[in-house]
Amino acid sequence: MPSLSPEPVIVTRGLSKDYGSGRGLFGLDLEVGRGEVFGFLGPNGAGKSTTMRLLLDLIKPTSGSARVLGLDVGEGSVEIRRRVGFLPGDLALYPKLTGRVVLDYLAKLRGGVDARVRDALVDRFDADLDRPIRQLSTGNRQKLGLIQAFMHEPELLILDEPIAGLDPLVQQRFHALLHEVSAKGRTVFLSSHTLSEVERVTHRLAILRQGRLVIVDSLENLRKVAVQRLEIEFGEPIDAEAFRTLPGVRDVQANGRTVTIGFEGSADAVVKAAAARDVRAIRPREDDLEDIFLRYYQDDPA
Amino acid sequence: MSWPATEITLRLRRVGTLSAAVGLVAVMAAVGALFPAVGHTIGKLNVPTGVANLLGGADYATITGWFRSEIAEIYGPLVIAALAITGAAATTAGEEEDRILALVLAHPIRRSRLIAAKATAVALIVFVVAFAVWLGLIVGVAAGGGGITLAHMTALAVQLAFFGLATGALALALGAGTGRRSLANGGAAAVVIVGWLVNSFAPLVGAIAWLKYLTLFYYYAGHDPLARGIDSVGLLVLGLATLALTAAAVIGFEQRDLHA
Repeated sequence: MPSLSPEPVIVTRGLSKDYGSGRGLFGLDLEVGRGEVFGFLGPNGAGKSTTMRLLLDLIKPTSGSARVLGLDVGEGSVEIRRRVGFLPGDLALYPKLTGRVVLDYLAKLRGGVDARVRDALVDRFDADLDRPIRQLSTGNRQKLGLIQAFMHEPELLILDEPIAGLDPLVQQRFHALLHEVSAKGRTVFLSSHTLSEVERVTHRLAILRQGRLVIVDSLENLRKVAVQRLEIEFGEPIDAEAFRTLPGVRDVQANGRTVTIGFEGSADAVVKAAAARDVRAIRPREDDLEDIFLRYYQDDPA
Repeated sequence: MSWPATEITLRLRRVGTLSAAVGLVAVMAAVGALFPAVGHTIGKLNVPTGVANLLGGADYATITGWFRSEIAEIYGPLVIAALAITGAAATTAGEEEDRILALVLAHPIRRSRLIAAKATAVALIVFVVAFAVWLGLIVGVAAGGGGITLAHMTALAVQLAFFGLATGALALALGAGTGRRSLANGGAAAVVIVGWLVNSFAPLVGAIAWLKYLTLFYYYAGHDPLARGIDSVGLLVLGLATLALTAAAVIGFEQRDLHA
C-alpha cells in the first residue's frame, strides 16, 4: 500500500448534508491519501453519492468543510474539477447522440484531452463509439463513462459505482487500469454497494451507514477481524456442538456429515478439533467483505 | 461562454428547428398565394369585433391585415415561443432531470458560463426561426401580389425575434432556477398564452385594457410592426426582459443544489 503523503488528496471535516427525515450525510471526517485506491462502501441511500456530489460542488454542504487536492470544494471548485475525473452513479448521456460525439463534447468542454490517451482507453475497453447511446447496453454505456473519467489523466478519480453493469472481462480490465493509475501516484475514490467488486482493488475502505461513517481501515486490518469459514466433510455424522465452544468460533452449521464453521483469528483450534475425527475434506469458504460488512451492520444498533 | 455547450445544444435541436423554419416559409408562401383568391371575399364578411380581435384585429381586405391575422398574431409567435421554450427548458431542467447535467458540471466550467452557452444556443434557434419568418414574409407577400414594404416585413421579424428571446429567457430562468422541465415548459407557455389572450380581449374591456402593458406579447405586436414598422420601445422592453431573465437564470442556478 502506498504511504500517505503529508497532504491528503481528500479531507473532510464534519461534512454534513441534511436532507431531513434522517437522510443525508452527517459529520463525515475522512482523509484519502495520494495514490490510494479508497473504497467507499454502503448500501443505497447511505450517503456515498451525496459525499461525491459535495466534493464536486454539485451540492453545498449544510455544515462542515471539505478540501480536494488542497483546495476548498466551494472556492476551488473549477480548478478541482479540472484535475478530477468523475463517473456519476446511474450514468446518463445524451441518448440520441453517438458515443463519439459525446466524448468529443466532453473533451472539448474540459480542454487539454490527449486524443491518444482517449483512443487507448477506447481500445482497452473495446467501446462502441458509433451507435446512438440509447442503443447501447448498460455495460457499454458504462464504458463511455469510464473513458470520459480517465481520458484527461486526472490526479483524482471519483467513481460512483464504477463496476455496475460491466461484464467480468471488462471488470478485469478496469481493475488493471486502477492498479496502473494508483502505481502512478494518482488517487481513486470509488463507491460500491456490492462488496466483492472492491475487495480486489482497494487499499483502504470506509463503511458508511445511514449517512454516518461506521469505520475506516485497511483491507488487511479488516480481514484480521473478519470471519473466516471452513467447510469440513467428515467420514461419519458428528456432533457439531463440539465446535461451538472452541475459542474464536462464531457460528457452526451442520448438514449431515458436513460442518461449516465460522471463526475469527487463528484456524488452529478448529483444525485440531477436527483432526480428532475422520476428516474427508476441508474446503475454505472465501471470506469476503460481506462478512465484515454485515458484522458492522449487526453490531451497530440502528 | 462555452462554445462546445452551445454547439451540442444546437445539435440536439437542429432537426426540430430546421423543420420548423422550412415549414414556416412554406406555410407563409401558401398563405400569401391564397390572398388574391380569398382575401377580398373574406374581407367583406362582417366578423364580430371579439372574433376579429382574436384573429389579430382581422382586416382581411388588405394584405397587411391578412398577414397580421394569419402570421403575426398567431402562427409566428406560436412557433417561435414553442421552439424557444422547449429548447430552453430541455437544455437546463431537461438535462438535469435526465441526470446529464451532473456529469457536465463535473467538468471545469462555471455554472454562469454554462447558462450563458445555453442561452446563446436558444438565441440562435430564435434567430433561425425569425429569419424563416422574414423569408416567408418576402415569399408570401410576393405570392400575394405585394403590398408590404421590406422595412415593415423586417420590423415584424425583428420584433418577433425579441419576443422569442424574452420567452426563451423566461423558460431558461424557470428551468435553471427550479430544475423542473414541466414547470419551465408550462410556466413559460402559460405566460405566453395569457399574454396573447389579454392582448386579444383586454382592449374590449376598458377597465382592464391596461393589463396588456404587463404582457410580453404587447411589446412584440402592440405597435403593429407590419403596418407601422419597428417599435423601439417594445424592443427595449423585450431586450431588458431577456437580460433580466437570463441573469435570474444564472443567479437561480448558481445558488442551488443540483437535483440527484
